[in-house]
Amino acid sequence: MENYRPLIGTDINDLETPCLLIDMDLLERNFQLIADTYRDTECKMRAHIKNLKSPILAHMQIRAGGTVGGVCAAKVAEAEAMVEGGIDDILIPNQVVTPDKVSRLCTLAKQAKMMVAADNTDNLQAISDTASEMGVSIGVVIEVDTQMQRAGIRAVEQGVTLAKAADSLPGIEFKGVMSHQTLPGMPDRETRFIEGPRFIQKTLDVKEAIEAEGIPVEVVSAGESWTYDICPTIPGVTEVEGGTYALMSHAYAYMEDFEFAGTVLGTVTSSPRPGLAIGDTGSRCLASPSGVLPQITGVDGVRVDSLGANHIVLKSDGEMPLRVGEKFQLISGQQDIMVNRWDQFIGVRNGKVEGVWDITARGCHN
Amino acid sequence: MERPILKPIGTLAEQLDTPALVVDMDALESNIEKVHAAFRESDANIRPYVESHRCPAIAHRQIAAGGTVGGIAVASVGEAEVFAQNGISDILVINEVVTASKINRLCALARQSVITIAVDSTANVHNFSEAAHRIGVKLNAVVDLNTGQERSGVAPGQPALDLACSIVQADGLNFSGLMNLGDENLNDDADELSARWRGRIQETLNTKQLLEQNGIEVGAVCVNAPHPNLGAETSGVTEVLSGAYALMDHRHGAALPGLEQAAKVLASVTSLPEPCTAILDTGRKAMGDDYGFPVIDDNDELQIVSMSAEHGKLQWDEGQDMSLALGDKIWFTPMDIGACVNVYDYIQAVRDGKLEAILSVAARGIYR
Repeated sequence: MENYRPLIGTDINDLETPCLLIDMDLLERNFQLIADTYRDTECKMRAHIKNLKSPILAHMQIRAGGTVGGVCAAKVAEAEAMVEGGIDDILIPNQVVTPDKVSRLCTLAKQAKMMVAADNTDNLQAISDTASEMGVSIGVVIEVDTQMQRAGIRAVEQGVTLAKAADSLPGIEFKGVMSHQTLPGMPDRETRFIEGPRFIQKTLDVKEAIEAEGIPVEVVSAGESWTYDICPTIPGVTEVEGGTYALMSHAYAYMEDFEFAGTVLGTVTSSPRPGLAIGDTGSRCLASPSGVLPQITGVDGVRVDSLGANHIVLKSDGEMPLRVGEKFQLISGQQDIMVNRWDQFIGVRNGKVEGVWDITARGCHN
Repeated sequence: MERPILKPIGTLAEQLDTPALVVDMDALESNIEKVHAAFRESDANIRPYVESHRCPAIAHRQIAAGGTVGGIAVASVGEAEVFAQNGISDILVINEVVTASKINRLCALARQSVITIAVDSTANVHNFSEAAHRIGVKLNAVVDLNTGQERSGVAPGQPALDLACSIVQADGLNFSGLMNLGDENLNDDADELSARWRGRIQETLNTKQLLEQNGIEVGAVCVNAPHPNLGAETSGVTEVLSGAYALMDHRHGAALPGLEQAAKVLASVTSLPEPCTAILDTGRKAMGDDYGFPVIDDNDELQIVSMSAEHGKLQWDEGQDMSLALGDKIWFTPMDIGACVNVYDYIQAVRDGKLEAILSVAARGIYR
């Protein structure tokens, strides 16, 4: 496990590399945009902490405003790390099924308000049994598959059946419905605003069908960073599960409102031929799911050619502007997978270290 | 930090909390024995590249198996520190170390372990020499030779000779030889792969000859190879760097026949949303899929149709009765073991299907 704690005030050019940087001005701008967007809307942000994995950054967004006051956590272990870090309202928008993990979820409910997504009645029964035995209450949202064909109910009637079961079982409290959406490529704004509402409509159909049975639906959780500005325009959506917006990745470059706040800092270690530079940042620390390359930022005329496990190959058409010992910054293609490869964020402002924060939910896959 | 529910020793592997990185100790020991046996009989020795497992307990098993140089190779200064702290006394850092602070760290570490650096510029030689002299230590240095690869290294022939001369003359450094690391594509035809490999080994040996003609003794000829035993059989090679053979992975399967897949990722089914479809609690994050998706073991009917950050999705043909239930377990072989190990803090070691030990992946996430 890495434990890198540079002195506050260290210039970024004096940092040991590779390290994971957050530009605090840019992060705060992203947090503020969320606060401004949701200030007066019924719909609020519930930041998906699988992207930041750090309680202090969760608190920063919550304090900045625009949120429900809690977070999403992908896994029970991630939720644990957040509860330990003082977050007291958590939605796990995934299924928790093994008895070990159901117990762990229920014990967290003694410390925090816990919600979990379900798509199966046996699972509801298992959570109900354990929660009743432990004397806690677990909020349940029904996961609706709107287009990803991942987990979640496929038909509206299944949602009604599950809602009725959740509503009647002890130890669990039916809260509402949730769904994820994805849009490949680099869609423009118009496409987003057509596809987003179309995908989310199915979630609302399930909500209406449940309400028609006389069961109130308090929570309608939908979306991702790419629908952050769409969800508040859809009546009925109460919360948004956005994650990537905070640090950003180049795959989300089309979301032009957000700044690239997270970068990996590297150093050139070799310059074997003209136009070629080798750096100390490889796929291990950058994450390169199925070969996606990072992008270099802040240096003109240099491109990322390829990635080894522990080195990067940078090329330039003319003279390589980066010399041995010089630093460069990279933006990851999939930011949450990248953060999961690190133990600390180095927060910088105006090129100097302002803080070092542990990524306490690193590796919390369980 | 990873927070698995760690179960008692003796727990059945299928009852481990998921996702889990599970290593079969019999398979690991058999892989190490098979590869090291060839080196025990050979003039060449193996130098295990521990970046592939980041686990000191496994490194010690490799050294104990014999046929080694008595030490290991690592990718970074930080890794060298972790393995030195865990009792490894001879470490080669294969990547160039260029910043003042890291040069100082490595020189300080030379008080604990024998340290060998790889260099490709005279400026770097001077910087190391100055620091080693100041700190009062000696480091070994190999010339990092680049025979056309897209990586670091100095060109063979005169440039390598000039660099070797600068090491020989430098205070605080011992010139120990040449290192040549290839970047052969494992998917290429095996004959082509070994022909290309022999080509770069020959270039390395030619440079060795040039150095010797100029009165410089070349102790080490350190290379990697598509199969480590290729190095054991090749005259003139003294050290073979190899990593994946211990735990193995799918990517190296064809190039390393006869070795077992010792490392697996265990996942659980968390949703059965429609017929012939299962969703798993294990996705890209917990697989380390930089080189591609993992492979499902022992079930040709199950296909991985997609993986997202936190989920895997499996499907099977209509008519196949998988009888999968929520909580059921699926075994995967990682595509690349180095990428997979680097997302886990713990290796759950099993023998005969039961938990035997929990090993620390002590150098997980150490890049610096």
